[in-house]
Order: sequence, then structure tokens, then C-alpha cells
Amino acid sequence: MRHFLLRIEPVIWLLFGQGLLIGTMLLTGWVLVVGIGVPLGLIDPAALSFDRAHALGSNIIGRLVLAALIVLPLWKGAHHLRHLSIDFRGAERDVVVAPILYGIATVASLLGVLAVARL
Amino acid sequence: MSESKKTFVITRFDPDKDEVPKTQEYEIPVHEDWKVLDAINFIKDEVDPTISHRWSCRMAVCGSCGMMVNGEPKLTCKTRLSDYGDRVIVEPLANFPVIRDLVSELDGFMEKFQAVKPWVIRAKEEAGAVSASNPPKSSKGTFVQSAAELAEFKQFSLCINCMLCYAACPVVANEPEFLGPAAIALGHRYNLDSRDQGLDERNEVFRGEGTVFSCSFANECSEVCPKNVDPAAAVNQAKFGAVIDWATSLVLPRPGASKEGGK
Ligand code: FES
Repeated sequence: MRHFLLRIEPVIWLLFGQGLLIGTMLLTGWVLVVGIGVPLGLIDPAALSFDRAHALGSNIIGRLVLAALIVLPLWKGAHHLRHLSIDFRGAERDVVVAPILYGIATVASLLGVLAVARL
Repeated sequence: MSESKKTFVITRFDPDKDEVPKTQEYEIPVHEDWKVLDAINFIKDEVDPTISHRWSCRMAVCGSCGMMVNGEPKLTCKTRLSDYGDRVIVEPLANFPVIRDLVSELDGFMEKFQAVKPWVIRAKEEAGAVSASNPPKSSKGTFVQSAAELAEFKQFSLCINCMLCYAACPVVANEPEFLGPAAIALGHRYNLDSRDQGLDERNEVFRGEGTVFSCSFANECSEVCPKNVDPAAAVNQAKFGAVIDWATSLVLPRPGASKEGGK
């Protein structure tokens, strides 16, 4: 397992790095618009009416953006939590913690991609 | 010249007598233009000759005078005393075993340096076809390098091995085997060198446990570096190099053990 984790590090780091970018920029904007702007009436709810949102989310670019928005931050979170665990003197338990976290990220990513594909 | 008094709290440790390090206080007159090292030298020369500490050049070149000053890793010959209050705490560099007083043990660090093969590696020492990876030799038998090629790695070659970055690094504190900022920056410096052909050999090292990906990018190394080497940038560029290495390994077989390399 140690060896396997070591081998996939570059891939995970790549997902983590992109997730960091997406997580801090796109996702923040997303939450601002959908989570705060619309409920507070700062943004006209009609702008996000079902038909418009569906049209936006279900074309190919919309799907790609949604998939990235769901998948990449998951890996960023998993990788951050893993390093948090290591930083709290968890180098020993890492062989257990890392597969669990990356496992969750994998399953959730698949579910996310599936959901986006079925839009 | 104006004079004032400051108290120095200095770590004392005699491996023959002490179980754990203790501290000793010295109150001395200081000049306002002194560096921290000047004060420690004054104490050793005039007050207590039993103090052990390392220093040599007094001009931030040799890298031997690194100590913790008020808890922060500093080159003491470059650190102005006037930046501190009346009490200055001086300890040996964190994250290293202590030999005596302010002197720390560097053997493990030297091994890490050697691990990244810090020399120009040539696949073969022949002057074959001239290409980007095999730059022309001049008539004097040296490798020609343009100013632009030098600029690629120059910053990473300015390290003076003072080890402040190891004392500052939270990953080193947690995981003493971690290859660490200066060693990775050194390996990266050779990877960026146009004369070098040892990328595969060093990527082999960087793929191992406790190397580039152990870094959690706390950036403390670059914060404390007295020479602005920016080791954190080197480590993260090396991570990206490892990603490229991984991606190419999917399409191209790795050169593997067949590479003996010119040592
Ligand atoms: S004495 Fe040489 S770097 Fe400080």
C-alpha cells in the first residue's frame, strides 16, 4: 500500500492542485451566487430558473464545468485531510487513513460524474 | 557610539554532564550596530569562554552561524541586534540534534545533500551530435552555457547550506527523514542546468518516500532563507516535474537501471 500511495502521488497532487484552484475561486463564486446571492434576492431568481439553469448545465461545457466543480475539490479535501492527519503525528496511520480518504473521493467523484452525465 | 545593556539567554549543553539542555543568562553591554553574532562572540571572549558556537565569515556567506534567535531561525551574523528587545534568547537550530551548547549535528543533513546527486551528470562523456540536451563544448573543453540558461537555475544555486530552512520546516519537525528544502532545491538546480543529463536519476530519487510530495507547502523555508533561494518554489517545481515524469512514463518506458550515468 505504501508503495502504491507513493506511485499515485503525482496524480493525486495534480488533482489536489487543480482542486485548490477551483475550490478557492470557482466554488467560492458558485456559493456566492447560488447560496447567498439568490436567496437574499441580490440576484434575480429568474436568472436561475430551472429551464435556464438546465440549459446552462446540460450542454457539454456546462457539464465539464460542473464535473470539475464537483470532482476536483473532493480530491483537494481528501489530500488536505490526509496531510492534516500526517501533521498530527499520523505518519504511521497514513497507510490506513490515505486509502479511506482517497476511496471516499473516488466513490464521490464517480457519483458526481454520473449525476452530471444524467442531467 | 551609544551603548546599552541586553540580557542573552543562551542554551548550554555539555553531553558529558547534562541530560537535557539548560539555559544560562548573560547581561552584557552592546553596541547598537552589533549583529547577534557579535554579542555571542563578546560573551565568549570576555565573559564565559566555555560557550561553543559556530561561525566563520561574518558576512552571510559561509552559512555556519545559523541559530534560533527568539525562536526564529536566523543567520546571526546578518541579524541586527537593534531589532530585538532587552532579552534575546539564543538556541541551537531546531530540528537538529545538539552536540554542545549552540552547535548542532549535521551528518544527517549532509547525507540528504548527497542523495540528490549534486553534480553535473552526463549520459556519456563523449562530444557527440550537438543538440539541446548535449550542448557544445568550447575549444577549452568546458560546456558552453548561455546567460539565459544560467538564469534558469542561478537562484537555486545560491544556497549557503545554513540549514535555516530545515529548522523552519514543519514537515522536517514531524518527519526527520524528509529530504527537506535545501536538498530538494539543490537537486532541482542540477535538473535545470543545461549541461546536466541526470534528470531521470534524480527523478528516481524524487519518486521515493519522504521527498517532494511530503512537502505541504507551508513556505516557511522561503520565509527564513537569508539568500532568497526560495526553496519552496524549487520543491513545488520539482513536484510538477514528477507529474510530467509520471505522465511521460505512461507513454514512454522509463530509462530505468540501464542508465549508469557519468559520475
Ligand atoms: S558567519 Fe558565515 S554566514 Fe554567518
